[in-house]
Amino acid sequence: MAGRRVLYSSPYVPAEFIAAHGLQPYRVFPARHARAFGSGANEGLCPYAKAFVEEAASDADAAVIFATTCDQMRRASEPAQAPGRPPFVFNVPATWQSATAQATYRAELERLGRFLVRLGGAAPVPGQLAATMLQYDGARASLRAARSDARALEAAEALVALYQGTEPRASASGGAAASGPRLALLGGPLFRDQFSLYDDLEAAGARIVLDATETGERTLPAAFDPAAVRADPLGELARAYFGHIPDVFRRPNDGLYAWLARELAARRVQGVLLLRCVWCDLWHAEAPRLKERLGLPVVELDPSSAVPAAPRTQARVQAMLEIFT
Amino acid sequence: MSAAAGGAARCLSLDDWDLRYQQLKAAGLQEPWYGGPLRRHVDDGGDLRLLKLRFDDSPAALRLWNFLLTEEERLHAARAAGKKIVGTMKDLGTVPVLVYSLPNALAFYPDGAWWAPCVMELNEGCLAAAAQHGLDESFCPVRAMFGAFVTGTQFPRPDLLTCSVGATCDDFSAIAQRLEALGFPVLWWEIPARRRPDAGEEAVLLPGGFSAPASQVAAVAAELERIRATLETLSGERLDEARLRAGIQAANKVRRVLARLRELVFRAPDCPLPALELLIAEMLAIHFCSDREEALTVLQKLLAETERRVRTGRAGCQPALQPARVFWVNPVADLAVMNLFEGCGGRLCGTDFMFGHALNEIPEALPPLEALARMALSDPMVGPASERADRVCRDAQSFGAEAVVVSRIPGASHCALEGEAIGAAVRARLDLPVLELEVPPVSDALRPTLRTRLEALVEAVLERRRRKP
Repeated sequence: MAGRRVLYSSPYVPAEFIAAHGLQPYRVFPARHARAFGSGANEGLCPYAKAFVEEAASDADAAVIFATTCDQMRRASEPAQAPGRPPFVFNVPATWQSATAQATYRAELERLGRFLVRLGGAAPVPGQLAATMLQYDGARASLRAARSDARALEAAEALVALYQGTEPRASASGGAAASGPRLALLGGPLFRDQFSLYDDLEAAGARIVLDATETGERTLPAAFDPAAVRADPLGELARAYFGHIPDVFRRPNDGLYAWLARELAARRVQGVLLLRCVWCDLWHAEAPRLKERLGLPVVELDPSSAVPAAPRTQARVQAMLEIFT
Repeated sequence: MSAAAGGAARCLSLDDWDLRYQQLKAAGLQEPWYGGPLRRHVDDGGDLRLLKLRFDDSPAALRLWNFLLTEEERLHAARAAGKKIVGTMKDLGTVPVLVYSLPNALAFYPDGAWWAPCVMELNEGCLAAAAQHGLDESFCPVRAMFGAFVTGTQFPRPDLLTCSVGATCDDFSAIAQRLEALGFPVLWWEIPARRRPDAGEEAVLLPGGFSAPASQVAAVAAELERIRATLETLSGERLDEARLRAGIQAANKVRRVLARLRELVFRAPDCPLPALELLIAEMLAIHFCSDREEALTVLQKLLAETERRVRTGRAGCQPALQPARVFWVNPVADLAVMNLFEGCGGRLCGTDFMFGHALNEIPEALPPLEALARMALSDPMVGPASERADRVCRDAQSFGAEAVVVSRIPGASHCALEGEAIGAAVRARLDLPVLELEVPPVSDALRPTLRTRLEALVEAVLERRRRKP
């Protein structure tokens, strides 16, 4: 795919919209970074936001999109500014129930379109956005269909490949574990260098049947309605992304619980690993409620400080698995 | 006339105030219904922190403190009188203007419970209750609000809770969500991240000098319309344009008095009012402490005392003769730190306690909801930190500040990056020393460190002053 690279992290940014403008959407799945940016120690700063800024800074030619889905990302857009490279701050409303919120998301898409044109992209000619949307929709459908047969790592790699326009990394081992406790991963994003957690969990005897992290299938948009795509592509984008993706930041966030209730039951999940970065208030505050509402064992892990193979992480995971043996 | 010539008010301890109160009463002091000696808030209310604070010695300050510390009684009285009580979370000054436009409703600020752990020296149980629900010390002290709802202390259960979300701190949004899940229904309304208008996009100048796209103003006005309609249903009263205009005018009266007070305090040669009392006075602008008319009276009395002091050259209880002129960013969770600051030789010359939008006058010539939307969008916390830093620099320069203190709020999501942005702007543009410090609700254990840091800042200012030609 030609065109300038456009980096983003939020699942509420539609890749196909960027691609339809002739630019290269590239969703960043950052690895952990130890270096502070700016002159301060960044005390209290979300390590994922920090890692995203670091990765974005390493690609000086790319444009960057931040979403307002959390305060830390919104604020991280400022130190990420570089001369001649102002980031685009995509205002994703926290509320969703009002016509104003829905109109705001759509208006932000239109504003993003103008930004992309200023970057050197071209406004899609009639039919081009719809065609691109259907292409991405097809890829996501394939990904969903393959999910039940794939190991968790393969599914995660496939999603990364979809959003980075690359080939999935080759997998070293075979299909999904046939037995073992059926676990769901839930929470914020997983750092790229921690994808080995998937294999570690499966090696320990678990079967990951639902990846509801921010970097997992929870944040896939709804399947498009082809007729709606042709009639009003922007409206359909807004419906599938803003109207569908359940997340903890939404107010109220009942949609997340409804989605979890449905998916946990459908996949016969037995336990949940909740991944939340240190300083992530949104997931941290929600943890006790999740434990109460889900009716399943829930164990918290901090992906920002816990190396998957770290003794503390291993012990917590092992303790959880023992519940089922 | 200088403080040396006109004298200075004494900083009173609570013991001192006992005697002072007797003297004032003997001299015929008239008080409103909530008046009385400050001591009773310790004896009856458990407000132990008062034992460690130093207060201004004026009757006006006495009234200010009594007004602040009797809010719960006012709320219960309002409930008994059949008034509707609206808890306005997070917006810091917008929805209260709507609520007070109704004849039978009042607003209060549940977030204000964040000072309860300080005032009651952690005996209020709010932080402990929040922690029991998983809201531990990694969250901003505003989690005390959650504890206040759970324990049913601090304020009565409101008839309606509103909460602005969107460009707000994650701590607050997450805590408010937990509240709703506990059975406290919330009317959420969106405040978008303010952005600079794009080229060719219709722009609106906001109170205070920021600008925003007209589309954002319209979106916020639409959100306020939802709230207006809900308030009508709740109160059974029309909240029409005439009432809203009157409500805005009444709010502006409060803001004008406060603006005059701030000007005097920050610009007078000798500081006429202590930092602690100014902080409390500014807080009244947010929600009028549950009685708009009385809040105005309290501030007018404080202004009159301050004017008198400026006129006669009598300073407030300022320990240092030539204090360092300091601009203060963010409110402190422990009120005692404002005393400590002055004890170290500082005085306030400008503040940004996170609600500059509640101090700016609301445009009266505009349709009311649009005017309020503009005001809400001028919130320094919903825009880029660089814009907040611009305003800090502008005000610090205007008030002649010689240093800036950025007071971090423990655990608050906005503090991770914003202090650095403000500090960098101040250093680069004004060449002033900047000190960043963190203040927990009860800072006694950190007092030596805080003192050392504040003293170092003051010394740096005095040294720069000496070196100036």
